[in-house]
Amino acid sequence: MSDAQAEGKAADEAAKNPPPYRTQPESPAIVSLVGVGKTFFRGKEPVKVLDGLDLDVPEGSFEALMGPSGSGKSTLLNLIAGLDRPTRGKITVAGTDLTNASDRTLAKWRSQNIGFIFQAYNLMPVLTALQNVELPLLLTSLGGAERKKRAQTALRVVGLEDRMHHYPRQLSGGQEQRVAIARAIVNDPKIIVADEPTGDLDRQSADDILTLLEKLNKELKKTIFMVTHDPAASERASVQRRLDKGRLK
Amino acid sequence: MNLPLLAARNVLRNKVRTGLTVLGVAVALLAFMTLRTVLSAWTQAEEFSQKDRMAVRSKISWVVLLPKKYVQEVKDMAGVQAVTWANWFGGRDPKHKQEFFANLAVDPESALQVYDEFIVSAEQKQAWVGDRQGAIVGDVLARKMGWKLGSKVTLTGGVYPFDMEFNISAIYTATRRGADRNQFMFHWAYLNEKLSSERQNRVGWLIVRTKPGVVSAEMSKRIDDHFKSSGMPTLSQSELELNRSFLAAFTAILTAINVVSIVILAIMALILGNTIAMGVRERTGEYGVLRAIGFLPRHVLAFIVGESLVVGIMGGGLALLLGYPLINMGMGRWLEENMGGLFPVFGITTATATAAMVLAVVLAAIAAAWPAWRASQLKVVDALRRVG
Repeated sequence: MSDAQAEGKAADEAAKNPPPYRTQPESPAIVSLVGVGKTFFRGKEPVKVLDGLDLDVPEGSFEALMGPSGSGKSTLLNLIAGLDRPTRGKITVAGTDLTNASDRTLAKWRSQNIGFIFQAYNLMPVLTALQNVELPLLLTSLGGAERKKRAQTALRVVGLEDRMHHYPRQLSGGQEQRVAIARAIVNDPKIIVADEPTGDLDRQSADDILTLLEKLNKELKKTIFMVTHDPAASERASVQRRLDKGRLK
Repeated sequence: MNLPLLAARNVLRNKVRTGLTVLGVAVALLAFMTLRTVLSAWTQAEEFSQKDRMAVRSKISWVVLLPKKYVQEVKDMAGVQAVTWANWFGGRDPKHKQEFFANLAVDPESALQVYDEFIVSAEQKQAWVGDRQGAIVGDVLARKMGWKLGSKVTLTGGVYPFDMEFNISAIYTATRRGADRNQFMFHWAYLNEKLSSERQNRVGWLIVRTKPGVVSAEMSKRIDDHFKSSGMPTLSQSELELNRSFLAAFTAILTAINVVSIVILAIMALILGNTIAMGVRERTGEYGVLRAIGFLPRHVLAFIVGESLVVGIMGGGLALLLGYPLINMGMGRWLEENMGGLFPVFGITTATATAAMVLAVVLAAIAAAWPAWRASQLKVVDALRRVG
């Protein structure tokens, strides 16, 4: 069979069996996983959560990861975010090999490269919105005035400049998540990882948050990797992936 | 905003719990300071001893009396400036049966010469010396018993089997703190004449005032050597030694006070440790978030220990704030006036206050050490699982 014939056959196959989710054209990968496996131990019994997983996330993409509970979504997110290390395989994120990096190296790397958004917002209740957003900047050498300025800018991006002196208890769930997003972007990270960012929100607030994430992706060119159970949220991403029994499908 | 501010803010997260813990720490430190003040005041009694004064008593016991002729023999010794003597009457006022106070038969002229810290007006002194039934009382005792100049007082004998009637003819105060202003003193001659002839002319003990430059230990030896071969050998002790031997009798109590003060501190550390541990358990998820965004284990450790230090310092500060008025102004004044012999100066010393604050800080750090270390060593992903 000639090359042209082979290509034609592959195109036919693809047309007959389209991928279940949209993908976007390849660009340089900011996240690269090669043969990654993760095994936990429940007592002495090994539990294989991820198994020989390969993944490339192009820079500037907005990807959604879905899958049933226990499929390994959060484990994968933790590996990409440098919160955990794989049992085997290699992980490279934002040009850094995280596979064997020390805890200290990972902590510093996370503070410079990753923005976190959690389902439960996880704001410090004793700090105002502005102070919560300023929190990651305390690890930098920036002076107080500059930190404040950047935190104000981040809050402006998420549309909460008029709530900066409010405490979390004085904000709605959607507003709290916006503050969390401002905190995630204040140190200008390359990647934002979001674990069920709309899981605790009503439909309207969830839409607003997803719109904000789209804006961060399109206007600020942030790479976003989002774990979600919500098909509507997943639809807003430019790439959808499904994880089941430790394998990407 | 800065990291210490964040630690301080966490302290105020649960105001009721923090308030109760601060109060608990303050009460524990207050108890500690009170006990330490008892100890320091007790041992301070030593410092208030007159260096040139000594007591001479029977070598056998305080209750064995000495012949009165010893007074003159001691007075004639080189290095002696003045000598007086006293007998313990051990009487009680039937109107105030519960009140205990020292009542002594003394020689008025020589007593005021030897105890020159007592202040009494010349007029009253003359009245006392001139009245055989006259008595001089400390101002604190007079106030407590409601006695005034001219009051008639009857004391029921304790050591002696008879009652005696007195006129309050003088009230003394003192030039220095630590002087006992709770004494009742009357004419030794008045007591002596009431005794049967075979019990007369005997004294309880001698109080000797030495000349400047005389070493009290040498003087004691000289006096005791002088009476060594007599039928009634003596034991002479400087006022300092006397106070020390008195304190030695209470060693067990002092040790018990010491132990209790340490136990109180241990309880304080446990109270604080429990509060910190509860807070850490509740906020494990938050520490996970902090670690996720780049904070290091040492930051988490510092947050928790810092929080505990803030509580410890607040508790220590409150204890000092309450301690000065309660101990120095309230309890201290009462004890100085009523138990001046035991507690000449009862107040929180700088050393005690400093020790309380330092211990508050050190124990706060120790109390937080274990929960802080555990929280700092938790894996980020495990900590994040506890979110929500």
